Amino acid sequence: MGWLASVLYPVGRYLTPLPETGPTGPVNLTRGEIGKLEQDGFVIVPVVGKRVLVLEDSEGDIRALSARCTHEGCTVQYVADDSLIWCACHNAKFDLEGGVISGPPPKPLPRFYGERRDDGSVVINVVEQA
Amino acid sequence: MSNDTKSPLLSWLDERYQVSPLIEFLRHKEVPIGAHSMAWYFLGGATLFFFMVQIVTGVLLLMYYQPGEATSWESLRYIMTKVPFGWLVRSFHCWSAHLMIICLVAHMFSTMLLKAYRPPRELTWVTGYVLFAVALGFGFSGYLLPWNELSYFATVVGTDSVKSVPVVGNWLLEVMRGGPDVTINTLYRFFALHVIILPLACFALVGIHLLFIQRQGMAAPVGECHAPRGMKFFPSFAVRDLLLWLACLFLLVALSTVAPYGPNIPGMEWELGSKANPLAPAYPGIKPEWYFLWIYQLLKEFPPHLLGLEGPQLCLLLVSVLMGAWAAVPWMDRQARRNQPSPGFSDFGFAAILFISYLTLKAWDIGAVGNDVDAPASVASVARTCAWWELGLGGAIIAIRYTVYEHRWFLFSGAALLHAGLHGLAGIGYLAAGLVAMLPVVAGVVMIYRAQSRGEETAGA
Repeated sequence: MGWLASVLYPVGRYLTPLPETGPTGPVNLTRGEIGKLEQDGFVIVPVVGKRVLVLEDSEGDIRALSARCTHEGCTVQYVADDSLIWCACHNAKFDLEGGVISGPPPKPLPRFYGERRDDGSVVINVVEQA
Repeated sequence: MSNDTKSPLLSWLDERYQVSPLIEFLRHKEVPIGAHSMAWYFLGGATLFFFMVQIVTGVLLLMYYQPGEATSWESLRYIMTKVPFGWLVRSFHCWSAHLMIICLVAHMFSTMLLKAYRPPRELTWVTGYVLFAVALGFGFSGYLLPWNELSYFATVVGTDSVKSVPVVGNWLLEVMRGGPDVTINTLYRFFALHVIILPLACFALVGIHLLFIQRQGMAAPVGECHAPRGMKFFPSFAVRDLLLWLACLFLLVALSTVAPYGPNIPGMEWELGSKANPLAPAYPGIKPEWYFLWIYQLLKEFPPHLLGLEGPQLCLLLVSVLMGAWAAVPWMDRQARRNQPSPGFSDFGFAAILFISYLTLKAWDIGAVGNDVDAPASVASVARTCAWWELGLGGAIIAIRYTVYEHRWFLFSGAALLHAGLHGLAGIGYLAAGLVAMLPVVAGVVMIYRAQSRGEETAGA
Protein backbone atom coordinates (compact mmCIF):
# COMPACT_ATOMS: atom_id res chain seq x y z
CA MET A 1 0.00 0.00 0.00
CA GLY A 2 2.78 2.38 0.97
CA TRP A 3 4.69 1.39 -2.13
CA LEU A 4 1.63 2.13 -4.30
CA ALA A 5 1.17 5.53 -2.63
CA SER A 6 4.85 6.37 -3.15
CA VAL A 7 4.40 5.74 -6.88
CA LEU A 8 0.97 7.32 -7.38
CA TYR A 9 1.56 10.49 -5.36
CA PRO A 10 4.46 11.84 -7.47
CA VAL A 11 2.63 10.87 -10.68
CA GLY A 12 -0.51 12.66 -9.47
CA ARG A 13 1.48 15.75 -8.51
CA TYR A 14 3.35 15.68 -11.82
CA LEU A 15 0.07 15.62 -13.76
CA THR A 16 -1.59 18.36 -11.69
CA PRO A 17 -1.01 21.63 -13.57
CA LEU A 18 0.62 24.51 -11.77
CA PRO A 19 -1.65 27.48 -10.92
CA GLU A 20 -1.90 30.21 -13.57
CA THR A 21 0.29 33.22 -12.91
CA GLY A 22 -0.13 36.79 -14.07
CA PRO A 23 -1.17 40.21 -12.82
CA THR A 24 -3.84 39.88 -10.17
CA GLY A 25 -4.72 43.56 -10.01
CA PRO A 26 -6.61 45.67 -12.57
CA VAL A 27 -5.68 44.98 -16.23
CA ASN A 28 -5.85 47.45 -19.09
CA LEU A 29 -7.21 46.28 -22.43
CA THR A 30 -4.77 46.63 -25.31
CA ARG A 31 -5.38 49.03 -28.19
CA GLY A 32 -6.39 46.08 -30.42
CA GLU A 33 -8.83 44.77 -27.84
CA ILE A 34 -10.42 48.18 -27.43
CA GLY A 35 -10.74 48.45 -31.22
CA LYS A 36 -12.52 45.08 -31.31
CA LEU A 37 -14.76 46.16 -28.41
CA GLU A 38 -15.80 49.26 -30.29
CA GLN A 39 -16.30 47.42 -33.54
CA ASP A 40 -18.24 44.35 -32.31
CA GLY A 41 -19.67 45.70 -29.05
CA PHE A 42 -17.76 43.04 -27.11
CA VAL A 43 -14.36 41.39 -26.82
CA ILE A 44 -13.14 38.27 -25.05
CA VAL A 45 -9.80 38.65 -23.29
CA PRO A 46 -7.62 36.27 -21.27
CA VAL A 47 -6.92 37.37 -17.70
CA VAL A 48 -5.04 35.11 -15.28
CA GLY A 49 -6.17 32.01 -17.12
CA LYS A 50 -9.79 33.16 -17.29
CA ARG A 51 -11.79 34.05 -20.39
CA VAL A 52 -13.43 37.42 -19.70
CA LEU A 53 -16.25 38.91 -21.75
CA VAL A 54 -15.97 42.71 -21.87
CA LEU A 55 -18.97 44.43 -23.42
CA GLU A 56 -20.31 47.91 -23.91
CA ASP A 57 -24.05 48.02 -23.23
CA SER A 58 -26.62 50.26 -24.95
CA GLU A 59 -25.96 53.05 -22.44
CA GLY A 60 -22.24 52.96 -23.07
CA ASP A 61 -21.32 51.32 -19.78
CA ILE A 62 -18.54 48.74 -19.70
CA ARG A 63 -19.40 45.37 -18.18
CA ALA A 64 -17.04 42.46 -17.55
CA LEU A 65 -18.26 38.92 -16.91
CA SER A 66 -16.86 35.43 -17.16
CA ALA A 67 -17.02 34.32 -20.79
CA ARG A 68 -17.26 30.72 -19.70
CA CYS A 69 -20.82 29.38 -19.77
CA THR A 70 -21.70 27.80 -16.42
CA HIS A 71 -23.34 24.87 -18.18
CA GLU A 72 -20.58 23.14 -20.14
CA GLY A 73 -17.89 25.82 -20.41
CA CYS A 74 -18.44 27.10 -23.98
CA THR A 75 -17.44 30.68 -24.74
CA VAL A 76 -20.45 33.03 -24.61
CA GLN A 77 -21.04 36.16 -26.72
CA TYR A 78 -22.89 39.45 -26.40
CA VAL A 79 -25.97 39.90 -28.60
CA ALA A 80 -26.39 43.68 -28.70
CA ASP A 81 -29.75 43.64 -30.55
CA ASP A 82 -31.41 41.60 -27.78
CA SER A 83 -29.27 43.07 -25.02
CA LEU A 84 -28.33 39.65 -23.67
CA ILE A 85 -25.43 37.22 -23.43
CA TRP A 86 -25.83 34.02 -25.42
CA CYS A 87 -24.10 30.64 -25.44
CA ALA A 88 -24.48 28.91 -28.78
CA CYS A 89 -23.60 25.42 -27.55
CA HIS A 90 -26.88 24.70 -25.73
CA ASN A 91 -28.80 27.94 -26.44
CA ALA A 92 -28.36 29.42 -22.97
CA LYS A 93 -29.29 33.08 -22.41
CA PHE A 94 -28.05 35.37 -19.65
CA ASP A 95 -28.93 38.97 -18.81
CA LEU A 96 -26.23 41.62 -18.64
CA GLU A 97 -25.86 41.07 -14.90
CA GLY A 98 -24.98 37.44 -15.64
CA GLY A 99 -28.33 36.03 -14.44
CA VAL A 100 -29.78 33.02 -16.28
CA ILE A 101 -32.75 33.95 -18.51
CA SER A 102 -33.27 30.57 -20.15
CA GLY A 103 -31.51 27.33 -21.00
CA PRO A 104 -29.74 24.70 -18.91
CA PRO A 105 -26.99 26.66 -17.03
CA PRO A 106 -27.24 25.99 -13.30
CA LYS A 107 -25.50 29.19 -12.17
CA PRO A 108 -25.21 32.84 -13.25
CA LEU A 109 -22.06 34.09 -14.98
CA PRO A 110 -19.59 35.54 -12.45
CA ARG A 111 -19.29 39.33 -12.76
CA PHE A 112 -16.04 41.28 -12.66
CA TYR A 113 -15.13 44.93 -12.35
CA GLY A 114 -14.94 46.86 -15.63
CA GLU A 115 -14.71 50.58 -16.38
CA ARG A 116 -13.86 52.98 -19.20
CA ARG A 117 -11.55 55.74 -17.98
CA ASP A 118 -11.55 59.36 -19.16
CA ASP A 119 -8.47 58.75 -21.31
CA GLY A 120 -10.42 56.09 -23.28
CA SER A 121 -8.64 53.12 -21.74
CA VAL A 122 -10.68 50.19 -20.46
CA VAL A 123 -9.69 48.55 -17.22
CA ILE A 124 -10.99 45.28 -15.80
CA ASN A 125 -10.36 43.42 -12.58
CA VAL A 126 -11.14 39.74 -12.24
CA VAL A 127 -11.90 39.92 -8.54
CA GLU A 128 -15.51 38.66 -8.55
CA GLN A 129 -18.20 41.18 -7.67
CA ALA A 130 -21.10 40.25 -5.46
CA MET B 1 1.03 -34.15 -36.58
CA SER B 2 3.82 -36.58 -37.27
CA ASN B 3 7.29 -35.32 -38.07
CA ASP B 4 7.09 -37.01 -41.51
CA THR B 5 4.28 -34.80 -42.76
CA LYS B 6 5.73 -31.54 -41.47
CA SER B 7 7.34 -29.03 -43.78
CA PRO B 8 11.05 -28.36 -43.12
CA LEU B 9 10.24 -24.85 -41.89
CA LEU B 10 7.60 -26.14 -39.48
CA SER B 11 9.97 -28.82 -38.21
CA TRP B 12 12.65 -26.20 -37.70
CA LEU B 13 10.22 -23.98 -35.76
CA ASP B 14 8.82 -26.90 -33.79
CA GLU B 15 12.26 -28.02 -32.66
CA ARG B 16 12.90 -24.59 -31.21
CA TYR B 17 9.49 -23.33 -30.07
CA GLN B 18 7.27 -26.44 -29.81
CA VAL B 19 4.52 -25.01 -32.01
CA SER B 20 2.85 -28.38 -32.67
CA PRO B 21 0.31 -28.15 -29.81
CA LEU B 22 -0.76 -24.71 -31.08
CA ILE B 23 -1.20 -26.04 -34.63
CA GLU B 24 -3.15 -29.02 -33.31
CA PHE B 25 -5.38 -26.64 -31.34
CA LEU B 26 -6.07 -24.52 -34.40
CA ARG B 27 -6.62 -27.60 -36.54
CA HIS B 28 -9.42 -28.79 -34.27
CA LYS B 29 -10.90 -25.40 -33.47
CA GLU B 30 -14.51 -25.01 -34.66
CA VAL B 31 -17.00 -22.17 -34.87
CA PRO B 32 -20.48 -23.24 -33.73
CA ILE B 33 -23.30 -23.16 -36.27
CA GLY B 34 -26.63 -22.98 -34.54
CA ALA B 35 -29.94 -21.21 -34.31
CA HIS B 36 -28.67 -17.77 -35.33
CA SER B 37 -26.89 -16.37 -38.34
CA MET B 38 -23.11 -16.73 -38.53
CA ALA B 39 -22.85 -13.12 -39.71
CA TRP B 40 -22.62 -11.97 -36.09
CA TYR B 41 -19.35 -13.86 -35.62
CA PHE B 42 -17.56 -11.68 -38.17
CA LEU B 43 -18.17 -8.27 -36.55
CA GLY B 44 -15.26 -8.59 -34.12
CA GLY B 45 -12.90 -9.40 -36.99
CA ALA B 46 -14.13 -6.41 -39.00
CA THR B 47 -13.52 -4.19 -35.97
CA LEU B 48 -10.00 -5.55 -35.67
CA PHE B 49 -9.38 -4.86 -39.37
CA PHE B 50 -10.40 -1.20 -39.03
CA PHE B 51 -8.25 -0.91 -35.90
CA MET B 52 -5.23 -2.12 -37.86
CA VAL B 53 -5.99 0.47 -40.57
CA GLN B 54 -6.06 3.06 -37.78
CA ILE B 55 -2.58 2.06 -36.64
CA VAL B 56 -1.09 2.12 -40.15
CA THR B 57 -2.68 5.45 -41.20
CA GLY B 58 -1.99 6.94 -37.77
CA VAL B 59 1.71 6.17 -38.12
CA LEU B 60 1.70 7.73 -41.60
CA LEU B 61 0.03 10.89 -40.29
CA LEU B 62 2.64 11.09 -37.52
CA MET B 63 5.35 11.50 -40.16
CA TYR B 64 4.11 15.06 -40.78
CA TYR B 65 1.82 16.04 -37.89
CA GLN B 66 3.40 18.41 -35.37
CA PRO B 67 1.49 19.11 -32.15
CA GLY B 68 1.71 22.76 -31.11
CA GLU B 69 -0.19 26.03 -31.01
CA ALA B 70 1.36 27.24 -34.27
CA THR B 71 1.81 23.85 -35.91
CA SER B 72 -1.11 21.45 -35.24
CA TRP B 73 -3.64 23.00 -37.61
CA GLU B 74 -0.92 24.13 -40.03
CA SER B 75 0.73 20.70 -40.28
CA LEU B 76 -2.62 19.07 -40.93
CA ARG B 77 -3.39 21.62 -43.64
CA TYR B 78 0.03 20.82 -45.11
CA ILE B 79 -0.79 17.09 -45.07
CA MET B 80 -4.07 17.70 -46.82
CA THR B 81 -2.95 20.23 -49.41
CA LYS B 82 0.74 19.60 -50.12
CA VAL B 83 1.75 16.05 -49.17
CA PRO B 84 1.04 13.62 -52.05
CA PHE B 85 -2.02 11.54 -51.10
CA GLY B 86 -2.02 13.18 -47.67
CA TRP B 87 -5.75 13.88 -48.02
CA LEU B 88 -6.31 10.18 -48.72
CA VAL B 89 -4.33 9.03 -45.69
CA ARG B 90 -6.31 11.36 -43.43
CA SER B 91 -9.57 10.33 -45.08
CA PHE B 92 -8.66 6.65 -44.52
CA HIS B 93 -7.85 7.41 -40.88
CA CYS B 94 -11.14 9.24 -40.27
CA TRP B 95 -13.38 6.84 -42.18
CA SER B 96 -11.82 3.76 -40.62
CA ALA B 97 -12.27 5.33 -37.16
CA HIS B 98 -16.00 5.74 -37.76
CA LEU B 99 -16.38 2.32 -39.38
CA MET B 100 -14.49 0.77 -36.46
CA ILE B 101 -16.92 2.32 -33.98
CA ILE B 102 -19.92 1.21 -36.11
CA CYS B 103 -18.60 -2.38 -36.16
CA LEU B 104 -17.80 -2.20 -32.46
CA VAL B 105 -21.31 -1.01 -31.57
CA ALA B 106 -22.87 -3.73 -33.77
CA HIS B 107 -20.52 -6.32 -32.24
CA MET B 108 -21.43 -5.26 -28.71
CA PHE B 109 -25.19 -5.31 -29.35
CA SER B 110 -24.99 -8.67 -31.15
CA THR B 111 -23.10 -10.10 -28.15
CA MET B 112 -25.77 -8.64 -25.88
CA LEU B 113 -28.74 -9.94 -27.88
CA LEU B 114 -27.25 -13.41 -28.48
CA LYS B 115 -26.30 -13.69 -24.77
CA ALA B 116 -22.71 -14.54 -25.67
CA TYR B 117 -21.71 -12.97 -22.35
CA ARG B 118 -23.07 -15.86 -20.28
CA PRO B 119 -20.66 -18.03 -18.27
CA PRO B 120 -17.85 -18.73 -18.74
CA ARG B 121 -17.44 -15.65 -20.97
CA GLU B 122 -18.14 -12.83 -18.49
CA LEU B 123 -14.58 -11.52 -18.66
CA THR B 124 -14.66 -11.56 -22.46
CA TRP B 125 -17.65 -9.21 -22.19
CA VAL B 126 -15.83 -7.02 -19.66
CA THR B 127 -12.67 -6.75 -21.79
CA GLY B 128 -14.87 -5.95 -24.81
CA TYR B 129 -16.66 -3.30 -22.76
CA VAL B 130 -13.36 -1.70 -21.71
CA LEU B 131 -12.17 -1.86 -25.33
CA PHE B 132 -15.31 0.00 -26.34
CA ALA B 133 -14.50 2.69 -23.75
CA VAL B 134 -10.91 2.86 -25.07
CA ALA B 135 -12.24 3.23 -28.64
CA LEU B 136 -14.41 6.15 -27.51
CA GLY B 137 -11.31 7.59 -25.82
CA PHE B 138 -9.45 7.31 -29.12
CA GLY B 139 -12.24 9.20 -30.86
CA PHE B 140 -12.43 11.89 -28.20
CA SER B 141 -8.68 12.50 -27.94
CA GLY B 142 -8.16 12.41 -31.70
CA TYR B 143 -10.94 14.92 -32.29
CA LEU B 144 -8.90 17.75 -30.73
CA LEU B 145 -5.68 17.11 -32.67
CA PRO B 146 -6.59 19.18 -35.79
CA TRP B 147 -6.93 22.15 -33.39
CA ASN B 148 -9.82 23.68 -35.34
CA GLU B 149 -12.86 25.56 -34.02
CA LEU B 150 -15.19 22.57 -34.02
CA SER B 151 -12.75 20.28 -32.23
CA TYR B 152 -11.91 22.99 -29.71
CA PHE B 153 -15.47 23.64 -28.56
CA ALA B 154 -16.45 19.96 -28.72
CA THR B 155 -13.53 19.28 -26.35
CA VAL B 156 -14.54 22.19 -24.10
CA VAL B 157 -18.04 20.71 -23.71
CA GLY B 158 -16.86 17.10 -23.52
CA THR B 159 -14.22 17.66 -20.85
CA ASP B 160 -16.37 20.05 -18.80
CA SER B 161 -18.71 17.17 -17.90
CA VAL B 162 -15.86 15.65 -15.86
CA LYS B 163 -16.22 18.37 -13.20
CA SER B 164 -19.53 16.73 -12.20
CA VAL B 165 -17.63 13.74 -10.77
CA PRO B 166 -18.02 13.95 -6.97
CA VAL B 167 -15.04 15.08 -4.83
CA VAL B 168 -12.26 14.78 -7.45
CA GLY B 169 -14.17 16.30 -10.41
CA ASN B 170 -12.35 19.63 -10.58
CA TRP B 171 -8.92 18.05 -10.03
CA LEU B 172 -9.66 15.48 -12.73
CA LEU B 173 -10.75 18.23 -15.09
CA GLU B 174 -7.49 20.15 -14.58
CA VAL B 175 -5.39 17.01 -15.01
CA MET B 176 -7.24 16.21 -18.21
CA ARG B 177 -6.94 19.72 -19.62
CA GLY B 178 -3.52 20.56 -18.25
CA GLY B 179 -5.07 23.68 -16.71
CA PRO B 180 -8.47 25.18 -15.91
CA ASP B 181 -9.33 25.72 -19.58
CA VAL B 182 -8.82 23.91 -22.87
CA THR B 183 -5.48 25.22 -24.17
CA ILE B 184 -2.60 23.86 -26.17
CA ASN B 185 -1.59 22.02 -22.97
CA THR B 186 -4.79 20.00 -23.39
CA LEU B 187 -3.73 19.11 -26.92
CA TYR B 188 -0.32 17.89 -25.68
CA ARG B 189 -2.02 15.62 -23.15
CA PHE B 190 -4.57 14.34 -25.65
CA PHE B 191 -1.77 13.73 -28.16
CA ALA B 192 0.11 11.57 -25.65
CA LEU B 193 -3.12 9.75 -24.86
CA HIS B 194 -3.99 9.23 -28.53
CA VAL B 195 -0.65 8.00 -29.83
CA ILE B 196 0.94 6.28 -26.82
CA ILE B 197 -1.26 5.48 -23.84
CA LEU B 198 -4.45 4.32 -25.56
CA PRO B 199 -2.69 2.24 -28.25
CA LEU B 200 -0.67 0.42 -25.58
CA ALA B 201 -3.83 -0.20 -23.55
CA CYS B 202 -5.64 -1.28 -26.69
CA PHE B 203 -2.95 -3.78 -27.72
CA ALA B 204 -3.00 -5.34 -24.27
CA LEU B 205 -6.79 -5.53 -24.11
CA VAL B 206 -7.18 -6.85 -27.66
CA GLY B 207 -4.59 -9.51 -26.82
CA ILE B 208 -6.48 -10.57 -23.68
CA HIS B 209 -9.84 -10.44 -25.48
CA LEU B 210 -8.58 -12.65 -28.34
CA LEU B 211 -6.87 -15.01 -25.91
CA PHE B 212 -10.17 -15.53 -24.07
CA ILE B 213 -11.99 -16.14 -27.35
CA GLN B 214 -9.37 -18.62 -28.54
CA ARG B 215 -9.36 -20.46 -25.22
CA GLN B 216 -13.15 -20.65 -24.84
CA GLY B 217 -14.24 -20.59 -28.49
CA MET B 218 -17.20 -18.64 -29.78
CA ALA B 219 -20.43 -18.88 -27.81
CA ALA B 220 -23.00 -21.42 -28.96
CA PRO B 221 -26.64 -20.26 -29.15
CA VAL B 222 -28.58 -20.20 -25.88
CA GLY B 223 -29.86 -23.62 -24.82
CA GLU B 224 -27.12 -25.49 -26.67
CA CYS B 225 -24.12 -26.40 -24.53
CA HIS B 226 -22.41 -27.80 -27.59
CA ALA B 227 -23.54 -26.67 -31.02
CA PRO B 228 -24.85 -29.54 -33.15
CA ARG B 229 -22.69 -28.47 -36.08
CA GLY B 230 -19.43 -26.64 -36.38
CA MET B 231 -17.32 -24.95 -39.01
CA LYS B 232 -13.58 -25.48 -39.05
CA PHE B 233 -11.84 -22.27 -37.98
CA PHE B 234 -8.97 -23.10 -40.35
CA PRO B 235 -9.41 -22.75 -43.22
CA SER B 236 -13.21 -22.28 -43.60
CA PHE B 237 -13.87 -19.48 -41.11
CA ALA B 238 -10.47 -17.76 -41.54
CA VAL B 239 -10.93 -17.54 -45.32
CA ARG B 240 -14.38 -16.03 -44.90
CA ASP B 241 -12.91 -13.55 -42.40
CA LEU B 242 -10.20 -12.58 -44.90
CA LEU B 243 -12.80 -12.11 -47.64
CA LEU B 244 -14.76 -9.83 -45.34
CA TRP B 245 -11.59 -7.84 -44.64
CA LEU B 246 -11.14 -7.45 -48.37
CA ALA B 247 -14.73 -6.20 -48.68
CA CYS B 248 -14.06 -3.76 -45.79
CA LEU B 249 -10.98 -2.49 -47.62
CA PHE B 250 -13.00 -1.90 -50.81
CA LEU B 251 -15.65 -0.07 -48.82
CA LEU B 252 -12.98 2.05 -47.13
CA VAL B 253 -11.33 2.96 -50.45
CA ALA B 254 -14.69 3.84 -51.99
CA LEU B 255 -15.82 6.02 -49.08
CA SER B 256 -12.44 7.73 -48.67
CA THR B 257 -12.24 8.73 -52.32
CA VAL B 258 -15.90 9.63 -52.87
CA ALA B 259 -16.35 11.58 -49.61
CA PRO B 260 -12.85 12.46 -48.31
CA TYR B 261 -14.24 14.91 -45.72
CA GLY B 262 -17.06 12.69 -44.47
CA PRO B 263 -20.72 12.26 -45.38
CA ASN B 264 -21.56 15.77 -44.11
CA ILE B 265 -23.71 14.45 -41.28
CA PRO B 266 -23.34 16.32 -37.96
CA GLY B 267 -20.85 14.37 -35.86
CA MET B 268 -19.42 12.62 -38.93
CA GLU B 269 -17.52 15.32 -40.84
CA TRP B 270 -13.87 16.25 -40.75
CA GLU B 271 -13.34 19.35 -42.87
CA LEU B 272 -10.33 21.16 -41.44
CA GLY B 273 -12.25 24.45 -41.11
CA SER B 274 -10.85 27.45 -39.23
CA LYS B 275 -8.05 27.26 -36.70
CA ALA B 276 -9.15 27.14 -33.06
CA ASN B 277 -9.31 30.48 -31.31
CA PRO B 278 -9.99 30.12 -27.58
CA LEU B 279 -11.01 33.78 -27.45
CA ALA B 280 -13.70 33.51 -30.14
CA PRO B 281 -17.28 32.84 -29.04
CA ALA B 282 -18.82 29.44 -29.72
CA TYR B 283 -21.05 29.26 -32.77
CA PRO B 284 -24.35 27.39 -33.26
CA GLY B 285 -24.29 23.81 -34.48
CA ILE B 286 -21.24 22.61 -32.54
CA LYS B 287 -21.80 18.94 -31.99
CA PRO B 288 -19.56 16.07 -30.87
CA GLU B 289 -18.93 12.87 -32.85
CA TRP B 290 -22.11 10.92 -33.68
CA TYR B 291 -21.49 8.31 -30.97
CA PHE B 292 -21.52 11.00 -28.26
CA LEU B 293 -24.60 12.77 -29.64
CA TRP B 294 -27.05 10.98 -27.34
CA ILE B 295 -25.17 12.25 -24.27
CA TYR B 296 -24.98 15.74 -25.80
CA GLN B 297 -28.76 15.71 -26.32
CA LEU B 298 -29.44 14.25 -22.88
CA LEU B 299 -27.47 17.15 -21.36
CA LYS B 300 -29.85 19.52 -23.16
CA GLU B 301 -32.92 17.74 -21.77
CA PHE B 302 -31.96 18.26 -18.13
CA PRO B 303 -33.12 21.45 -16.35
CA PRO B 304 -30.54 23.57 -14.48
CA HIS B 305 -31.45 21.98 -11.14
CA LEU B 306 -33.26 18.79 -10.21
CA LEU B 307 -33.47 16.76 -6.99
CA GLY B 308 -30.99 19.07 -5.28
CA LEU B 309 -28.32 18.50 -7.92
CA GLU B 310 -27.18 20.49 -10.92
CA GLY B 311 -28.61 19.27 -14.24
CA PRO B 312 -25.25 18.17 -15.75
CA GLN B 313 -24.36 16.33 -12.51
CA LEU B 314 -27.62 14.41 -12.55
CA CYS B 315 -27.21 13.67 -16.25
CA LEU B 316 -23.72 12.27 -15.69
CA LEU B 317 -25.05 10.20 -12.79
CA LEU B 318 -27.78 8.73 -15.00
CA VAL B 319 -25.32 7.93 -17.80
CA SER B 320 -22.93 6.31 -15.27
CA VAL B 321 -25.74 4.16 -13.83
CA LEU B 322 -26.80 3.05 -17.33
CA MET B 323 -23.22 2.26 -18.36
CA GLY B 324 -22.60 0.42 -15.08
CA ALA B 325 -25.75 -1.65 -15.60
CA TRP B 326 -24.60 -2.46 -19.14
CA ALA B 327 -21.21 -3.70 -17.85
CA ALA B 328 -22.90 -5.84 -15.18
CA VAL B 329 -25.38 -7.56 -17.54
CA PRO B 330 -23.57 -10.96 -17.44
CA TRP B 331 -24.11 -11.09 -13.67
CA MET B 332 -27.63 -9.63 -13.68
CA ASP B 333 -29.01 -11.98 -16.34
CA ARG B 334 -29.61 -15.02 -14.13
CA GLN B 335 -31.60 -16.96 -16.72
CA ALA B 336 -28.81 -16.71 -19.27
CA ARG B 337 -26.39 -17.89 -16.57
CA ARG B 338 -28.49 -21.07 -16.45
CA ASN B 339 -28.28 -21.27 -20.26
CA GLN B 340 -31.99 -20.46 -20.58
CA PRO B 341 -33.54 -17.81 -22.85
CA SER B 342 -33.84 -14.43 -21.11
CA PRO B 343 -36.31 -12.41 -23.19
CA GLY B 344 -36.30 -9.54 -20.69
CA PHE B 345 -32.62 -8.85 -21.28
CA SER B 346 -33.02 -9.15 -25.05
CA ASP B 347 -35.75 -6.53 -24.82
CA PHE B 348 -33.52 -4.40 -22.60
CA GLY B 349 -30.93 -4.43 -25.42
CA PHE B 350 -33.51 -3.36 -28.01
CA ALA B 351 -34.79 -0.65 -25.64
CA ALA B 352 -31.22 0.68 -25.30
CA ILE B 353 -31.03 0.95 -29.10
CA LEU B 354 -34.34 2.86 -29.19
CA PHE B 355 -33.38 5.13 -26.26
CA ILE B 356 -30.07 6.10 -27.89
CA SER B 357 -31.54 6.45 -31.38
CA TYR B 358 -34.29 8.87 -30.28
CA LEU B 359 -31.77 11.15 -28.58
CA THR B 360 -29.42 10.93 -31.58
CA LEU B 361 -32.21 11.78 -34.02
CA LYS B 362 -33.11 14.79 -31.87
CA ALA B 363 -29.48 15.90 -31.76
CA TRP B 364 -29.48 15.90 -35.58
CA ASP B 365 -32.40 18.41 -35.44
CA ILE B 366 -34.49 16.31 -37.82
CA GLY B 367 -37.69 18.23 -38.53
CA ALA B 368 -36.38 21.65 -37.46
CA VAL B 369 -38.27 24.64 -38.85
CA GLY B 370 -36.52 27.88 -39.80
CA ASN B 371 -32.92 28.79 -39.15
CA ASP B 372 -33.21 28.96 -35.37
CA VAL B 373 -33.25 25.28 -34.37
CA ASP B 374 -33.53 26.26 -30.70
CA ALA B 375 -36.74 28.30 -31.11
CA PRO B 376 -39.64 26.68 -29.14
CA ALA B 377 -41.64 25.92 -32.33
CA SER B 378 -38.62 24.26 -33.89
CA VAL B 379 -37.80 22.25 -30.75
CA ALA B 380 -41.40 20.95 -30.65
CA SER B 381 -41.28 20.10 -34.35
CA VAL B 382 -37.98 18.21 -33.91
CA ALA B 383 -39.39 16.22 -30.96
CA ARG B 384 -42.54 15.38 -32.97
CA THR B 385 -40.74 14.40 -36.20
CA CYS B 386 -38.17 12.29 -34.33
CA ALA B 387 -40.98 10.62 -32.36
CA TRP B 388 -42.62 9.52 -35.63
CA TRP B 389 -39.27 8.19 -36.88
CA GLU B 390 -38.75 6.44 -33.59
CA LEU B 391 -42.21 4.88 -33.58
CA GLY B 392 -41.68 3.70 -37.16
CA LEU B 393 -38.27 2.22 -36.34
CA GLY B 394 -39.42 0.67 -33.07
CA GLY B 395 -42.62 -0.67 -34.65
CA ALA B 396 -40.63 -2.33 -37.44
CA ILE B 397 -38.19 -3.90 -34.92
CA ILE B 398 -41.06 -5.20 -32.78
CA ALA B 399 -42.91 -6.58 -35.83
CA ILE B 400 -39.79 -8.45 -37.00
CA ARG B 401 -39.07 -9.75 -33.51
CA TYR B 402 -42.70 -10.89 -33.10
CA THR B 403 -43.11 -12.61 -36.46
CA VAL B 404 -39.61 -13.84 -37.35
CA TYR B 405 -38.03 -14.51 -33.95
CA GLU B 406 -41.31 -15.15 -32.05
CA HIS B 407 -40.37 -12.76 -29.23
CA ARG B 408 -43.18 -12.01 -26.77
CA TRP B 409 -41.40 -9.70 -24.30
CA PHE B 410 -41.72 -5.99 -25.22
CA LEU B 411 -41.92 -4.20 -21.87
CA PHE B 412 -38.69 -2.17 -22.12
CA SER B 413 -38.87 -1.39 -25.84
CA GLY B 414 -42.58 -0.54 -25.43
CA ALA B 415 -41.60 1.90 -22.67
CA ALA B 416 -38.95 3.48 -24.92
CA LEU B 417 -41.59 4.02 -27.62
CA LEU B 418 -44.13 5.32 -25.08
CA HIS B 419 -41.46 7.76 -23.86
CA ALA B 420 -40.87 9.07 -27.40
CA GLY B 421 -44.61 9.27 -28.07
CA LEU B 422 -45.42 11.11 -24.83
CA HIS B 423 -42.60 13.58 -25.36
CA GLY B 424 -42.83 14.13 -29.11
CA LEU B 425 -46.54 13.75 -29.80
CA ALA B 426 -48.21 14.67 -26.49
CA GLY B 427 -45.73 17.48 -25.77
CA ILE B 428 -44.76 16.30 -22.26
CA GLY B 429 -41.25 17.25 -21.09
CA TYR B 430 -38.54 14.67 -21.88
CA LEU B 431 -37.80 13.70 -18.28
CA ALA B 432 -41.46 13.72 -17.17
CA ALA B 433 -42.36 11.53 -20.16
CA GLY B 434 -39.52 9.17 -19.22
CA LEU B 435 -40.84 8.92 -15.67
CA VAL B 436 -44.39 8.14 -16.88
CA ALA B 437 -43.06 5.52 -19.33
CA MET B 438 -41.07 3.85 -16.53
CA LEU B 439 -44.19 3.23 -14.40
CA PRO B 440 -45.57 0.27 -16.46
CA VAL B 441 -42.02 -1.14 -16.63
CA VAL B 442 -41.66 -1.13 -12.85
CA ALA B 443 -45.16 -2.61 -12.41
CA GLY B 444 -44.50 -5.24 -15.10
CA VAL B 445 -41.12 -6.28 -13.68
CA VAL B 446 -42.58 -6.59 -10.15
CA MET B 447 -45.46 -8.74 -11.46
CA ILE B 448 -43.13 -11.01 -13.45
CA TYR B 449 -40.74 -11.34 -10.50
CA ARG B 450 -43.62 -12.31 -8.19
CA ALA B 451 -45.00 -14.80 -10.70
CA GLN B 452 -41.55 -16.37 -11.06
CA SER B 453 -41.09 -16.55 -7.27
CA ARG B 454 -44.51 -18.25 -6.90
CA GLY B 455 -43.59 -20.68 -9.68
CA GLU B 456 -40.30 -21.56 -7.97
CA GLU B 457 -42.09 -22.05 -4.60
CA THR B 458 -44.69 -24.33 -6.21
CA ALA B 459 -41.97 -26.30 -7.94
CA GLY B 460 -40.08 -26.56 -4.64
CA ALA B 461 -43.19 -27.80 -2.79
